[in-house]
Amino acid sequence: MTTDDEPGTVGAAGPSGLSVSGAGLTRRPSPDGRIVEPSPGGFFSAGRGPRLLSAGGGRAAVVSTVSTLVVLAALVAIFLAAPGSAQVRHTFFDPHDMWQSFIGNPSKGYYSVGEAIWLNIRMFLVAEVLILILALVIALIRQSTGPVLFPLRVLAMIYVDFFRGVPLLLVVYAIGFGLPALRLAFVSSQSFAVYGVIALTLSYSAYVSEVYRAGLNSVHQSQVAAARSLGLSHGTALRYVILPQAVRNIVPPLLNDFISLQKDTALVGVLGAIEANQAAQIYGSTFFNYSSLTVAAILFLILTIPLARFTDRLIEKDRRRRLAGAVT
Amino acid sequence: MMRRVAMVALAATAAAGLAACGSSTAPSAGGAPSTASTASCTYSSIQSELYQRGALTVATDKPAYPPWFEGNNPANGKGYESAVAYDIAAQLGFRASQVHWAYEPFDASYAPGPKKFDFDINEISYTPQRAQAVSFSSSYYGVQQALVALKGTPIATKHTPAELKSYVYGDQIGTTSLQFITSKIQPTAQPKVFSTLNDVKQALQDHQIAALVTDTPTAQYISADEIPHSVMVAQFPSTGEHYGLLFTKGNPLVSCVDKAITKLRENGTLAALQKKYLQLYLTVPTIQP
Repeated sequence: MTTDDEPGTVGAAGPSGLSVSGAGLTRRPSPDGRIVEPSPGGFFSAGRGPRLLSAGGGRAAVVSTVSTLVVLAALVAIFLAAPGSAQVRHTFFDPHDMWQSFIGNPSKGYYSVGEAIWLNIRMFLVAEVLILILALVIALIRQSTGPVLFPLRVLAMIYVDFFRGVPLLLVVYAIGFGLPALRLAFVSSQSFAVYGVIALTLSYSAYVSEVYRAGLNSVHQSQVAAARSLGLSHGTALRYVILPQAVRNIVPPLLNDFISLQKDTALVGVLGAIEANQAAQIYGSTFFNYSSLTVAAILFLILTIPLARFTDRLIEKDRRRRLAGAVT
Repeated sequence: MMRRVAMVALAATAAAGLAACGSSTAPSAGGAPSTASTASCTYSSIQSELYQRGALTVATDKPAYPPWFEGNNPANGKGYESAVAYDIAAQLGFRASQVHWAYEPFDASYAPGPKKFDFDINEISYTPQRAQAVSFSSSYYGVQQALVALKGTPIATKHTPAELKSYVYGDQIGTTSLQFITSKIQPTAQPKVFSTLNDVKQALQDHQIAALVTDTPTAQYISADEIPHSVMVAQFPSTGEHYGLLFTKGNPLVSCVDKAITKLRENGTLAALQKKYLQLYLTVPTIQP
């Protein structure tokens, strides 16, 4: 365990870490007789990007693995030893119920959770594109400076305040039951999935527009001045100078919002659309067993975890680029 | 094809349900019931089995829908389920003031572990699968499914079994109505499943669904008193479904409550309450799914 052969472990290595440098992970008394912890066991690592598994050579990996297993085993043991464990396992983790709810059987009154998640995925993909567009428009309006646009700026501000403050569930209800009740020609005859996407777009655009705004503000004012002085119009400067830099800065928070959006597609279930969460609840209340909800949770995890890891990678890449002083 | 809802059929359903209840030997995870103290089912002998001594704690969901409850207030003794709960309490030796009402969302009522009530009365249908997670009393009402539609819509007049397959149906989540739709009506379009009955009614009024499916008394109430331009199209033949009170799995109180229900059925109380609150004296056409 040395800090110089592994670039990932600089952070936690304090004086105590140095004192055991090269000594592996065995506890070893420091010169004054106290037991010191080797650095990979430290809790924080500052300076460099935090890593889930701080590298420290093969032995560190072994210790990490063992300590993880011990903690997991302890938790599982507590779970299994609990007085109501058998009942909880039957209610939440019954393999038969999990499989049945996954494959579904409409003739017996319940739908496949595995099939229903496609509705979540479709709603999410469409909503994401719409949100990226609408949020950018709102952010640009709010960032505008022209006196003519003042009424629009006020409207955009009210929009953001309103939709950030109102619970998404209420927006879903208002759109999903309100628009059809208007009995308009085109507006009132859409499917619940469409209303769900509209509600998600309205709500999330408010959040994402603020993320955009943060990104736009992160580009230094001198960039605008430089672009304008080169003779670029306001629009061209925005398109080719400001936005590319702004968006790059906000990719991680954007993805964060989209991970959240993936889960919130479950709220559209209240409109009667059979998405994964609704399908799971139907199974649960048909058989009085929540294992179907566990299945839905696993499916949502399968959806969100890759995106979360991708976000981590982007953050790491961005950090490295900045540290290297790259200009790109 | 008009006919009166026959009390005989109800009683038969109830009896069948009772037999089904008795024969269900689902694995209990909650410990063996101690029936010794409740064998006599007297007021004093059941005290140790109660959620709270000296009181009968009865649970239901919010909102409490008519005609099962009235005025969204279970404690007024009005509405079929409220009245039945108070009559069961009286059979067990409780005064009306000793009946405490608890709020229990339907989704939470079948959670594992001890419950915050003695029994839950919330139009919950008995099924053998559900009886693996909770204990049910014998039947206090035999259920038939019925259709509510808006007046003048196609389904109000065109509802042969073949025609019924072409409509979009809606129902409340957790009800056996969905099972009825998918297994008996077998429509080509996927039914819409809502969180609350009020949402289903809204969807019907918004023309999002052609008809809502629910039990006959609820259907009658919706069409007669709640949605002005709606009509109860028809009811379907009984499938042997019935409502039971929901208890913690293995609760020894079940046997005493079952005795009380049997007594109420035999002395005509249940039939009288059904007549009073569930409008079963109205003639209802029955159609085949």
